[in-house]
Amino acid sequence: MQTEATLAQADVSELDLVARCQAGDTEAFDELVARYRTRVFGMIYNMVHSEQDAWDLAQDSFLKAWKSIKRFRGRSSFYTWIYRIVMNVTIDWLRKKQVKGGGGEFDDSIQLKEVEPASKTMPKAEALPHEMMERSEIRTRIDDAIAQLSPEQRAVILMKEIEGMQYHEIAEALGCSIGTVMSRLFYARKKLQNLLRDVYENI
Amino acid sequence: MKTFEEKWTAWLDGQLSGRELSEFEASLPDKAAAQAEKGDVRKLGALLKRELGVSALTNEEFFSHQLRERIRESSVPSAKGEGRGSAWWTVPRLLWVGAASLAVFLVFTIFVMRDKNPAEESQYLTQILNARVDPVVSPNATVSMFEVKQDRVTVLWTEGLQSLPADYAAK
Repeated sequence: MQTEATLAQADVSELDLVARCQAGDTEAFDELVARYRTRVFGMIYNMVHSEQDAWDLAQDSFLKAWKSIKRFRGRSSFYTWIYRIVMNVTIDWLRKKQVKGGGGEFDDSIQLKEVEPASKTMPKAEALPHEMMERSEIRTRIDDAIAQLSPEQRAVILMKEIEGMQYHEIAEALGCSIGTVMSRLFYARKKLQNLLRDVYENI
Repeated sequence: MKTFEEKWTAWLDGQLSGRELSEFEASLPDKAAAQAEKGDVRKLGALLKRELGVSALTNEEFFSHQLRERIRESSVPSAKGEGRGSAWWTVPRLLWVGAASLAVFLVFTIFVMRDKNPAEESQYLTQILNARVDPVVSPNATVSMFEVKQDRVTVLWTEGLQSLPADYAAK
């Protein structure tokens, strides 16, 4: 985690970068992209479980951010603002995919068939083959479990547990109330606890 | 008023304090089970963070390169007019243009209406024309009018008049 001083420095330079972007400086935007591309990609990947789709959605999100950067007023951090765009793009995509698939509740059986092998995203040459296989299985279990959550529940649990965002930041990113965030978190956790209990109990 | 779900989530995440915390904990029927579930949620969170926090973006530079290309492509049509147009037609400008157009329209309408219904029509012309349409008085009469408004001059050219209206001389 960043200290308050480094956070303040990062915020100042980030605001400066945003101001330059608003003046049409694409190099400044490139710098912002470099700061957030990995986190944005990771967040989307954990929601859609496809490397290619995550890549495309991350691209779309940043392009949308560039097009609307002049509307950024600095009332929230750039980080929260970009996450709002990312969430809109990703949730919208998941909803459309669900409609095309003709499914009802989010069991996402269609998506699961398209899930890329987890080994693609795992660090290479750090673990022994049997360890990698075990982790790959765990990853698949987690992906399967997350696929059973609604897009909004996925977004909330990932922002809270992976990104460590505060309730109010999640609420801003999703454009909903803090109460809604807490409620979605409640149901997402309950569902994941039921689906993954044996996994986290045995680690 | 927070719902149970909201309070429970806040309690799990250590977001309750003071009176709210003590009241909530007092309301729990089985505190030991609640504490066990709190531990479960922490384990779940740790598992998710460990397993999902490693999704790395490969080819980061290519990602940025592709994005730069897309930004460049998307900015080309806007520079040629679309973007410039949308930037120029802001709401205040639209209001000003609308108001100015309305004012021009009103001025033009008033001008045309005045032109169509001149306030100072010649009494003399009216009388002559009335006389012309009377076939008994002047069956072969023709009246032509030449008017130069700029110089405030009107010339009436009459032919075939057998008599003039009785009140003409008086005017």
